[in-house]
Amino acid sequence: MTDRSVRDKGDSRGGRGRGAPRGGGGRGGGAKGGAKTIVEPHRHAGIFVARGKEDMLVTKNLSPGVSVYGEKRISVENSSGADDTVSKTEYRVWNPFRSKLAAGVLGGLDEIFIKPGAKVLYLGAASGTSVSHVADIVGPTGTVFAVEFSHRSGRDLINMATHRTNVIPIIEDARHPLKYRMLVSMVDVIFADVAQPDQARIVGLNAHLFLKVGGGVVVSIKANCIDSTAAPEAVFAREVTKLREERIKPLEQLTLEPFERDHAMVVGRYVRSTT
Amino acid sequence: MAAVDYLLHESAVGYAIFQVVHQADTIGNRLKEVQDAGQDLAKFGKMVKVVGFAPYRTAAEALENVNLVSEGVMSDYLRSELELNLPKPSKKKKIVLGVSDKTLAGSIKASFPGIECETGDTSEVVGDLLRGLRFHAGKLLVKLQEGDVDRAQLGLGHAYSRAKVKFSVQKNDNHIIQAIATLDHLDKAVNTFSMRVREWYGWHFPELVRIVSDNHTYAKLALAIGDKQTLTQDSLHDIAALVNDDGDLAQAVIDAARVSMGQAISDADMENVSAFANRVVKLAEYRKSLYQYLVDKMAIVAPNLATLIGEVVAARLISHAGSLTNLSKYPASTVQILGAEKALFRALKTKGNTPKYGLIYHSSFIGRAGAKNKGRISRFLANKCSIASRIDNFSEDPNTKFGEALRKQVEERLDFYATGTAPTKNEDAMRSAMDAVLGDIQIDDIPMTDAAPQSEKKEKKSKDKKDKDSKKDKKRRHSEVNGDEEAVEKKKKKKSKKESSSD
Ligand SMILES: C[S@@+](CC[C@H](N)C(=O)[O-])C[C@H]1O[C@@H](n2cnc3c(N)ncnc32)[C@H](O)[C@@H]1O
Repeated sequence: MTDRSVRDKGDSRGGRGRGAPRGGGGRGGGAKGGAKTIVEPHRHAGIFVARGKEDMLVTKNLSPGVSVYGEKRISVENSSGADDTVSKTEYRVWNPFRSKLAAGVLGGLDEIFIKPGAKVLYLGAASGTSVSHVADIVGPTGTVFAVEFSHRSGRDLINMATHRTNVIPIIEDARHPLKYRMLVSMVDVIFADVAQPDQARIVGLNAHLFLKVGGGVVVSIKANCIDSTAAPEAVFAREVTKLREERIKPLEQLTLEPFERDHAMVVGRYVRSTT
Repeated sequence: MAAVDYLLHESAVGYAIFQVVHQADTIGNRLKEVQDAGQDLAKFGKMVKVVGFAPYRTAAEALENVNLVSEGVMSDYLRSELELNLPKPSKKKKIVLGVSDKTLAGSIKASFPGIECETGDTSEVVGDLLRGLRFHAGKLLVKLQEGDVDRAQLGLGHAYSRAKVKFSVQKNDNHIIQAIATLDHLDKAVNTFSMRVREWYGWHFPELVRIVSDNHTYAKLALAIGDKQTLTQDSLHDIAALVNDDGDLAQAVIDAARVSMGQAISDADMENVSAFANRVVKLAEYRKSLYQYLVDKMAIVAPNLATLIGEVVAARLISHAGSLTNLSKYPASTVQILGAEKALFRALKTKGNTPKYGLIYHSSFIGRAGAKNKGRISRFLANKCSIASRIDNFSEDPNTKFGEALRKQVEERLDFYATGTAPTKNEDAMRSAMDAVLGDIQIDDIPMTDAAPQSEKKEKKSKDKKDKDSKKDKKRRHSEVNGDEEAVEKKKKKKSKKESSSD
């Protein structure tokens, strides 16, 4: 892919509000007008890297023209065909300080299982900021089942999902997966970021019902949420053991420094058979 | 552990009952076999057979059933489906049905004595068979088409979740954001199009523009007059009707037409000018109705903010923040310069002066303040806007009482800058607003304002409030309903302290 950027879009705060008659209207990123950015595919399918002054992780915007939470958008001209028609692709900047999955990807996770066409069960979707990027990655042929139990965040999640038809918002407690069993298919991967002490158990409950054999498990572990007295390393090790007991075979573990402190990302594979 | 005979599969499309047709010899082999087959449609398809499928017939029925299933309740629809498709059990042997949820299993057993239930918890084989159904049911149910299940999940996921969060369609502020953006575009469009009409029709009747300068009126006149030759004294009434019954003006138009320097126009040309003018007039009328819609919508979604600062500016604030919720979370200092981010960041970079106002500049209050008070009134107004947006956002059913009070406060503040008249004390202003709101509550018993949840638990609250009262504020001696008032006033107290120290 030989993409050439045209310009940066979006401004530094709420991306939806444009049309201010004076002052900050128009394009906020105007200063960077001519900056040339090249977008290249990342090692993980569905993720891209925008190379400019600094490299940035980006995903292909499923609903072009709209920012979800005020993130920057980058529009890139695809190399034109012989007939001089230029099509554009829009990407959204994925900030590793705001999304643990992005931090994990930048940290060099080997396998994330989240890729175009995948079905993802996302536990702890919050307002849907990270979920929107996961939705971009899996694309129109994939699905994200986004579970969140806070009603306040849930409203934002539902609003985000109205613009992304591959996201199914589920306002329920992930501890009771049977309650939403009618809304979920078998999935390729479970991503969990519920920040609860019993997260491993929650992941297990969901995996036994919904995760394909051999499917992926990606969990973000915040040491503080699980045990604030023990050393983070010890907490991570214990969580890995718990996942193992849920028949999830650990593949790799990564701390999220420098983006998050005392956080780890653990990736595993679901092996249901006990033999 | 009895071997399982039937399986119940609940999904977003409906209930399905499968018969387990292939029973393995030993239990030990069984699990391995089922697990191996689980992800292989060819193998799994040989283990089970569809015996009944009851699709939901409407979206409402789907939602109702999903809600019941998630609570472990058997709906009538499910009951009749089970009755219809399961064989009558013999005395000797009960029928074993595999079900996902043990609560639902309980409800089923309670009304079908001949049925025994197993769940994934009691039998791993059942767990794996049900997993297999989740995997393959879309294909095994031949009535379904590719994508049916996905679409049903999407629709139902939204319906289920919206109900959960009590998503209110009425109070949806997205429409405000869309409406104000459309309005802005329309204004621009109507303006440019009107200029076109003036230029085009001006070839024929150049004098008209000097008599009526307003774009909309001009377009209407151009449409009504058409070929100026046809204009006679008899048209006076019709013309006057278009210019606010201004007889002199109408006469001036007729006189001008008589001696016009403009070129004659062919019918075909005139037809096109008229067609275009007609569209412009229609567009301007639509703009008016859209504006009315925005006003009405604001009265539902953000009545206090709209009352305080006007519908259009209020809508712009909401639009710029992204939602009313976002706006209500901003500190007043952010509200003050909302829309002037560019100037703010420039100022921060160059260490220059930060802007005094953003979008709220367009409120009439700023214009009415003297030059040296513009910044002060802007800050004051932003404070009030912040309060109003919070009341609107967090009330179940907001009215305009606080908006009116806040507006009056801004008026008085302006007055104070101009003449030195002391404004009403904040405490008093807020108390009378609160009284007005409470008065309404007693009439129709609707909880209001941001402290609404408290008023429902009046009794309990006012008790523990009383302790605080005595500590915090000795002057206060309200009984019964002071829960609400307290909360608001305390907030206001802090505010007014801040204001007086910074003013
Ligand atoms: C750390 S935040 C997730 C942030 C999100 N992954 C992101 O990167 O944008 C954790 C979320 O999990 C939610 N949560 C906690 N316990 C939950 C449960 N039992 N079921 C569903 N959601 C839960 C919380 O409400 C919170 O929004």
